[in-house]
Amino acid sequence: MTETYLAPLWISLKTVLVATIITFFLGIAAARWMAHYTGKCKSLIYGLFILPLVLPPTVVGLGLLLLFGKNGPIGQFLELFNTTIVFSWPATVIAAVSMSFPLMYMTARGAFEQVDTHIEDAARTLGASEWRVFWSVTMPLSWPGVASATILSLARCLGEFGATLMLAGNIPGKTATIPVAIYFSIQAGDMNVALILVGIVLVIAFGSLAAIAYWKGKAYKARAAMANREVVE
Amino acid sequence: MLEVRLKRKLQGFTLDVAFKVDQEILAILGPSGSGKTMTLQCISGLVRPDEGYVNLNGTVLLDTSKKINLPARQRRVGFVFQNYALFPHLTVSQNVAYGIRHLPPEEIKEKVTDLLGKMNIPHLSDRFPRQLSAGQQQRVAVARALAPEPEVLLLDEPFSALDSLVKERLQLELQALHEFYEGIILFVTHDLTEGYKFSSKIAVFESGNIVQHDDKEKVITCPSNHTVARLVGFKNLMEGSVIKVRDNTATIEVPELGGAILAKVPNASRLMPSQRVTVGIRPEYVQLRKEAGENTLYCTMDRIAEGVSATNCYFHVNTVGVTRHYLMVILSRPDSGIIKEGQKSHLYLPPEHVVVITN
Repeated sequence: MTETYLAPLWISLKTVLVATIITFFLGIAAARWMAHYTGKCKSLIYGLFILPLVLPPTVVGLGLLLLFGKNGPIGQFLELFNTTIVFSWPATVIAAVSMSFPLMYMTARGAFEQVDTHIEDAARTLGASEWRVFWSVTMPLSWPGVASATILSLARCLGEFGATLMLAGNIPGKTATIPVAIYFSIQAGDMNVALILVGIVLVIAFGSLAAIAYWKGKAYKARAAMANREVVE
Repeated sequence: MLEVRLKRKLQGFTLDVAFKVDQEILAILGPSGSGKTMTLQCISGLVRPDEGYVNLNGTVLLDTSKKINLPARQRRVGFVFQNYALFPHLTVSQNVAYGIRHLPPEEIKEKVTDLLGKMNIPHLSDRFPRQLSAGQQQRVAVARALAPEPEVLLLDEPFSALDSLVKERLQLELQALHEFYEGIILFVTHDLTEGYKFSSKIAVFESGNIVQHDDKEKVITCPSNHTVARLVGFKNLMEGSVIKVRDNTATIEVPELGGAILAKVPNASRLMPSQRVTVGIRPEYVQLRKEAGENTLYCTMDRIAEGVSATNCYFHVNTVGVTRHYLMVILSRPDSGIIKEGQKSHLYLPPEHVVVITN
């Protein structure tokens, strides 16, 4: 019986964790690249990056289905290795990454652009490679923004429904994440299961928000304490 | 030696400069928006000019004609930014150590301690930049730039963010910099007194061009044109024409003063009779006299502006038919009591201090 609740919980946690990690690196790589890219197609690429944010999730799901399906270009390529993505667990991750990527990209890029370019230039004149400038200067200085971006992405992954349903379907114990499981419980008239799943989602959401608030408050206090230490010439 | 040739299109003007610097301190002097900072950025490799050549002690850092453009990290050029640009998330010693990470830990520690000592801030090593005053931040920025032993140190408006007391002390300390730093120092400023105090040569920038590049003494005594003269403190500048030249002394008719004045000029042969020229004299060289004499003008004092260490007096010439031309005179504090507003006096313009600028 507990399997009814634990399986979607476990699938959701796995998906959220893996998808958030992938989105994190993909998003900051894209943000960093776009911050320095000065080519002609800049606005076109920008549009492509944030497209999933403005499209209905089902449309994104359909697009992914066309790409990864049996007749899609990526699907046919994966066929060579006897792999199918559609209706498998990785499909939930792909759907979640596609939907959360624009949030990570936009927020991280905003954070990077806030960093004083003179500070990055100072690192360059001190002999730092672009890689080191990014990890030792840009990232630490834009950390609050990047952290917010990660939290937003994580929330988006946890709530992902439309695209997941299109690409991964509802296979209990395999691809049914909590949002999908709730929907199908209601469809089946199984209100109790739906409510318990809702309860689980609420606990996860509130728990992570509280943890973030606590952590941010601590960081803020530490910074305020530092700033209050006397300045002596 | 540093050899620089740069061309870059900027908003409103084109930066087009060429100069050489030996092991010395060069001040780049000019109004804001004349391309001074852009020049430093091109030398350091942070900005690529449209065309250019930079050679530092025999190493070609940039040669657009040969497609050579070393990235900033390989140039061995130290840069102190106008806002200091310290890493806010690192302590003072971590800031200074940033550029020498490749050295063994003991050596890093030794070097950081040594530099902080030389900059008189050994007690600040564990502070964060936000806990420092502007003057302290500047010292950290200099220490940080010097740590990797750059062959040239570029300072962008190093004193502009400081109040006058701290400024003076830091200027003294930075003058002592080349006792332990043997490289070339280039520093950008819009303030003549700063440039004069701190450098051995001055390059004057005006809308992207170098209008004069000379020993600092030469720049302030023989400005090459009207702009330089104005910039280096010739408050009294007047149009005139040459009447005659004899034995390095030129007689110049200055309608604004209602007469002719004499000027001692080093190479008088460049002056032709009836040539249009600008004559100038610094306000601190004009002297008050009781009686009329050679090169004196009979003037009335209009306004007085008392300063802390010197007083500015504004006179106009009492000659009939002359448009009111003001002469500014700076009197030292003890002398300023001898004349009141509305009083008349003879002003003596010492010929050796009158400069003649050919247009």
